[in-house]
Amino acid sequence: MKYSSYKKMFSASLTYVIIVVPVSVLLGLGAALLISSLRFGGEIYKTIFFLPVMATLLAMAIVWEFTLDPIVGLVNKLLSEGCSVTWFHHLFTGSWLGFNPADSWYGNACMDRMPNWLGNKKYALGAISFIGIWQAFGFNMVLYLAGLTAVPRDLYSAAEMDGAKSPWESFKLVTWPMLGPTHVFVVTITSIRSFQVFDTVEVLTKGGPSKSTYMMVYAMFEKGVKQNLVGVGSTLTVIFLVFVLILTLTQVYFVNRRVHYS
Amino acid sequence: MNQQPHWFSETIKHAVLLIGAAVVILPFYLMLSFSFKSPSEIQSISGGFFGSQELMTDRRCIKQGLPEEECTMLPIVYNYKAAFEEAPLFRYLLNGVIVTISIFAIQILIALPCAYALAKLQFWGRDVVFGMVIFCLLIPVHAIALPLYLMLAKLGLTNTFAALVIPWTISVFGIFLMRQFFKTVPDDLINAARMDGMSEFSIVWKVMLPTAIPALLAFAIFSVVAHWNDYYWPRVVITGDRDLMTPPLGLRMFKSDMDGNEYGPMMAAATVIVAPLVVAFLLAQRRFIEGITLTGMK
Repeated sequence: MKYSSYKKMFSASLTYVIIVVPVSVLLGLGAALLISSLRFGGEIYKTIFFLPVMATLLAMAIVWEFTLDPIVGLVNKLLSEGCSVTWFHHLFTGSWLGFNPADSWYGNACMDRMPNWLGNKKYALGAISFIGIWQAFGFNMVLYLAGLTAVPRDLYSAAEMDGAKSPWESFKLVTWPMLGPTHVFVVTITSIRSFQVFDTVEVLTKGGPSKSTYMMVYAMFEKGVKQNLVGVGSTLTVIFLVFVLILTLTQVYFVNRRVHYS
Repeated sequence: MNQQPHWFSETIKHAVLLIGAAVVILPFYLMLSFSFKSPSEIQSISGGFFGSQELMTDRRCIKQGLPEEECTMLPIVYNYKAAFEEAPLFRYLLNGVIVTISIFAIQILIALPCAYALAKLQFWGRDVVFGMVIFCLLIPVHAIALPLYLMLAKLGLTNTFAALVIPWTISVFGIFLMRQFFKTVPDDLINAARMDGMSEFSIVWKVMLPTAIPALLAFAIFSVVAHWNDYYWPRVVITGDRDLMTPPLGLRMFKSDMDGNEYGPMMAAATVIVAPLVVAFLLAQRRFIEGITLTGMK
């Protein structure tokens, strides 16, 4: 495999992980916080957000492909209809703040054409990451919900006595630190899983366009199995294993160190 | 906690969650909706959720020389009929069931005795063996896929059911989980069974197994969901032979040889493949969430 291919592979894999992990972890945490503070209806949201975790990813990836299709896809249909809706156009081109609509991304897309999400190397990795986040955050939400039930209630009253008045302050003082073990767990699991992304890449982009979504497990599959280059495939496997082991050892280190309060 | 009107913050929370829920549901909605609609309605995204269900003629059916009345049908009938006839969807589903059930059955057959030995029997090297189990837990499946594939290829087993099943039969995760569970079973129960003259194997199946039903159920859900949805491994070991394809792989084949205008049938096939697990999940949510989050340990 060429040096530049390796470079593209690392850049694609790491970018994917760097996008998917923080976003899906924070969305998971946000959803868990909102749901656990609701008076009613929390269970319904929990069920809905967990659906993508259960559903066959390959099938859902194909549905997303239709949705993101440049011509018949719903996303671009809605975006181009939004061009003629004045307030929507104003809001997203920034023209309500006095900017020139042609300078903004959306204004440009309105005048020219809507992007080909999976076929343009500028957007493909973003689109794949979006599907990854869509699929993963419900799982993180469930883990955070479990973590939240383990936070002792009396700590909140203690924090209030210590002067934590706003919900934000009590979140900062109590919830966030008490979720320490959950953070470590969720972040490692999500990173390891993001390194393993395969289904969406194989069915939607095949690593392209111009290797912008050429991620590690797909590279392993393409070289080792499809092209029967066992040596290259094995090299990639070892690299992959090193990455995953680093993540796992980091987790073990943090778990042993100081994130547990009990 | 504070005196602000609760309904206000409550409404905002619901609004935020509703937007999130809409994005999450969107592909499920579209999948189901497209599986009902005619090609033209799919192209133009019209017709609401269910489509207008105007009668349509199946061109392939006409080409086969059948009379026009027989080829005229509702789009929903056309889509699902095409999904089952064009792609051997029924075959795929059957394969999926065979593969997931055999994997689970063999996993249990191996994991329960192993877990029993590791939890309750004293033997030389037990801790080393358990250490190896823990070590294997750290290895991700994708890392050993290539060597496994090469070994199966050497044995001439690629493109067989065996290739789909064998690599998963020894689940270190299952062994670990069951071992943790068996640790909590009191020794007296086992000693009493031994007094009654039961062999060690019948202790595993007649004494330990019934106590382990909840853990076993969680593991079953974990295993079945993982292997029903798995695309990577079938993609590696099955090349071409449609009679061996599992549902996700079958859907992939359907996609690669469809001729552009087959969105409806493909979405029907996707719906049929996704439906069993989603329905089961909606019926037994708590069990499923428990079972899937177990994977967190992997």
